[in-house]
Amino acid sequence: MRIGDAKQSYLADEALWTSTTQQVWFGLFLLALFVFPFLATPYLLYLACLVGIAVISATGLNILTGYTGLISLGQAGFMGVGGYTVAWLSLHTDLSLPPALLAGGLLSAAIGVLVGLPSLRVKGLYLAIATLAASVFLHFVFMEWTPVTGGTKGLSLRPAHIFGIPLHNDFRMYFVIMPLAVVMLLGARNLFRTRVGRAFIAIRDRDISAEVLGIPLLKYKLMSFGLSSFYAGIAGGLFAYFFRVVTPESFPLSMSIFYLAAIIVGGMGSILGGVLGAVFMTLVPELLKLLTTVVTPFYPEAPVIMSPLRGVVFGALIVAFLIFEPHGLAEIWRRIRRFFHLWPFRT
Amino acid sequence: MIGKLWQQGRRLAQAAGLAFALTASGTAAAQSSQQEPLVFGGSIPLTGVFAFAGIHIHAGLTDYVNWINAQGGINGRPVQYVMEDTGYLVDRSVAAYKKIAGGKPPCCYYGDSTGFMKAIAPELNAANATIMSGASFATAITDVQQHPFQFIPGPSYSQMFSIILEYIKSQAKDGKKPTVAFVCSDTEFGKDPIENGRAYAKKLGIDVVEEIVTKPGSVDVSAEVIKLRRKRPDYVIFHGYILSPINEFMVQMRQMGLDTKFMGTFWSSDKLIIEKMGKDADGYMGVMPYNYFDTEDTGPMLEAMREQARKSDPKQAYRPTPYVQGWFNAMVWTEVVKRTLDAGKPLTGENLKAALESIKDWDTGGIIGVPVTVKDHSFPVGRIYRVNAAAGRFEPVSDWIHLD
Amino acid sequence: MDWLFFAEISLAGLATGGLYALIALGFVIVYKATRVINFAIGEIMMIAAYFFLTFAGGMQLSPWIALPLAVLGGTLLGGIVERTMIRPMLGESPISVVMVTIGLASILVGLAEIFWTADPQLLPEFLPRDPVFLGEIYLAPKIAYGFLIGATVLVLYLLYFRFSRGGVALRATASDQAAAYSMGINVRRVFNLAWVFGSLAASLAGILVAAAGGLSPQSGVIGLSVLVIVIVGGLDSILGALIAGLFVGWLETVAGAYFGGEYRMLATFAVLAVILVVRPYGLFGTHEIERL
Repeated sequence: MRIGDAKQSYLADEALWTSTTQQVWFGLFLLALFVFPFLATPYLLYLACLVGIAVISATGLNILTGYTGLISLGQAGFMGVGGYTVAWLSLHTDLSLPPALLAGGLLSAAIGVLVGLPSLRVKGLYLAIATLAASVFLHFVFMEWTPVTGGTKGLSLRPAHIFGIPLHNDFRMYFVIMPLAVVMLLGARNLFRTRVGRAFIAIRDRDISAEVLGIPLLKYKLMSFGLSSFYAGIAGGLFAYFFRVVTPESFPLSMSIFYLAAIIVGGMGSILGGVLGAVFMTLVPELLKLLTTVVTPFYPEAPVIMSPLRGVVFGALIVAFLIFEPHGLAEIWRRIRRFFHLWPFRT
Repeated sequence: MIGKLWQQGRRLAQAAGLAFALTASGTAAAQSSQQEPLVFGGSIPLTGVFAFAGIHIHAGLTDYVNWINAQGGINGRPVQYVMEDTGYLVDRSVAAYKKIAGGKPPCCYYGDSTGFMKAIAPELNAANATIMSGASFATAITDVQQHPFQFIPGPSYSQMFSIILEYIKSQAKDGKKPTVAFVCSDTEFGKDPIENGRAYAKKLGIDVVEEIVTKPGSVDVSAEVIKLRRKRPDYVIFHGYILSPINEFMVQMRQMGLDTKFMGTFWSSDKLIIEKMGKDADGYMGVMPYNYFDTEDTGPMLEAMREQARKSDPKQAYRPTPYVQGWFNAMVWTEVVKRTLDAGKPLTGENLKAALESIKDWDTGGIIGVPVTVKDHSFPVGRIYRVNAAAGRFEPVSDWIHLD
Repeated sequence: MDWLFFAEISLAGLATGGLYALIALGFVIVYKATRVINFAIGEIMMIAAYFFLTFAGGMQLSPWIALPLAVLGGTLLGGIVERTMIRPMLGESPISVVMVTIGLASILVGLAEIFWTADPQLLPEFLPRDPVFLGEIYLAPKIAYGFLIGATVLVLYLLYFRFSRGGVALRATASDQAAAYSMGINVRRVFNLAWVFGSLAASLAGILVAAAGGLSPQSGVIGLSVLVIVIVGGLDSILGALIAGLFVGWLETVAGAYFGGEYRMLATFAVLAVILVVRPYGLFGTHEIERL
């Protein structure tokens, strides 16, 4: 039970982990993440890598939509830019993973800034549709610009390599994806302790008031778009390296909706929410499939009936979540923590 | 009323389950030998856009495995069929493969889409333990360099076009150059054979007067029909569709007074089109590499398939082409594994590949009407069938065309 | 310049545009009254079409009975959805409500796959089959009659909203909720009514679209292409939905005919890009003036 929360300096107050207990738990968590691939089955390793990529992208979207309040339906398009850049570089140059990934992220950021320009004139759902239009336009480019993007056939990648080590299996990719995800998450969390991050939050809460306070709206809105797209581009690049093939169908609109669902169900406006949401959206379908395999020995026709039922259950979960806990999984987590702060006493 | 449908569905499922249990108990007896089972894995689309086919593919694979186990398995070793639903999404297919391959990759695997086959190729090549085929007839898979352990259980889409074009050429009346229009959907699936189709048509001296690309999910195609009216092609070849908008094209063009003949590829040439279109489907022609389930031809394997299908679900008198495709897939796997085991070689990807490439003039027992030879990891054979709407079935209008 | 060809293409485009306008109407009514973007509109359309398939196909009822019944079914679905899923979300951020509709779409697709299987379907014919010829100009019968039915319904809606009590209540709630409350309008009823009317338009449009283009559990994706039309016309303008629907339908078809099917989407989104630059709130949409 926590008694009192006194700090002696602003720096200590601003810390991400305020108590020793928290720091120890976080250290153990990092250790667990490091040890995980040695103990996991290939399937779990695959899922872990997918979750890592999803977490990076969801965090990017969280920066834009959760913290700055600019709804975006174009996440898949930005991921596609990162993915195709990385693929093209893999085929035409010998760049190792870090510079290629960075290039993908930067190009994606540039396009993100371009797409963000309408945010000067429109807000809310109108802006969402503008991002949707950008996503469709990017999809068109992926499909038709055959000399560069390979058209409908897409591009296949050679294995990524870093410092000369080829990353040809999930085990090695994990050790790139997971640390990168942790670093980018910490970066995002830190962003919201700085002036830039606070400007984003101000824009979300009331952008007119923010402007009155002296925050140049266009500059910060574009910065938000750029940063969010950078994250998306990195995630898309990792996606390309992981699957070793990118096609126009790899980044469909349903992926944008997937990430939007992830941050809403996880809890917008908190980094933890982005993580929880990404984990939820990736793992729940797998859990439901597991249920199917458990039931099948008793009822052999189960897959045929249970498979469409999965879509129903998944949609119902999202709806139920939003009706009963609109602030998402992060809020549930916070409630549990609050309970245990004072336990065994009650509020 | 919905309740009644639900009840019917449940009863059907229960009956199927009971039948399955009965046959499974039969296979359990056959599995008494202590031999290590051979695993046939599958990423099967039981939900999603391809579910209409996936359900029957699953039935075909299941029934075949039950049948082969009742025969004592392959060289005495029992066969185990392990599958997962993928919803026709590539990342779910990959996840299913990784789960099923786990520590030990299966000797054979069914891939549900071209996207999946491409995405898994690097890992498959590295594992060197599995031979893979599936629902994809994509031209890319015939590139043996990129896809050494993958094959197509039939002709590729480009080869299907070639077979159709050969038929058209054979029907040309004294010296008149036939005119053809391609109508395809704006997807990777739809655009797959167009380039090769164009080249082959040129080679045969057939004029491609129009190429129409339709947006998937488009509401109305009358604008495209108007374009076709101006070109008045002798034949229209559809690809990239299952049902819509073929019916609209056919009905509207006939109403305009055109006597164009309509042809299509594998996925749009099943009884579904007769069931849904009724007498409007009359005259539609499709290329099919296999015999239809209700063909007049006979053969030992064909009879075995029909018998097994009757056992597993007596209510379904007719099984659609995806069922036959699933069955044939498993047949080819069995043949490839058998040849490798008979030669005393271990079941590695390289050996399975060699066994596949050794298939020459193979008698399929009635599934395909002529002996087949593998070329570039596909079976480039097919027959043209035409819809007889009154009889409610497809009837052959050409001989078996085997491309060399 | 082949004028006959252009005329035929244009008419086909306008007829398709009429159907788009009907779908857009369903969108706009819901948004206007409740400020909710209904991402599940395509799926409601699909379910209504499946109802028609069951009534007219499975149960062999005459199309004159099956059509109203199916539309009624879709309308009821909309009403139930509002009562159970949207009402509890009153007061939450708009993005959360949008997410609920997205979840709903997933539920409806799954239910369709369970009850009606995943097979592609064709609706039983209920529109006259003979092609329509205006002089020499050919018009496909399905979209011609679809357009007529849709246009009639649109006009009826416009009249209803202008002149009847329910319509006035809807417009009042749309412009100022608090004032509507104080005038004694049952705002909750109006919300429900908005969803009911929106679903009615969507259901009818769904049946007409499925009659022309086939039906499968994936048919709901058309809802998203209508999103563009609604933005061009203005999210809360019924007249905008009508005009934008006709224009986009026409442009899409003409672009597809002259440049190739791949360019249809591009044409639509090019229009969107232009509108976002010139009139970002749509041709007839209201620009909310924010006050501190």
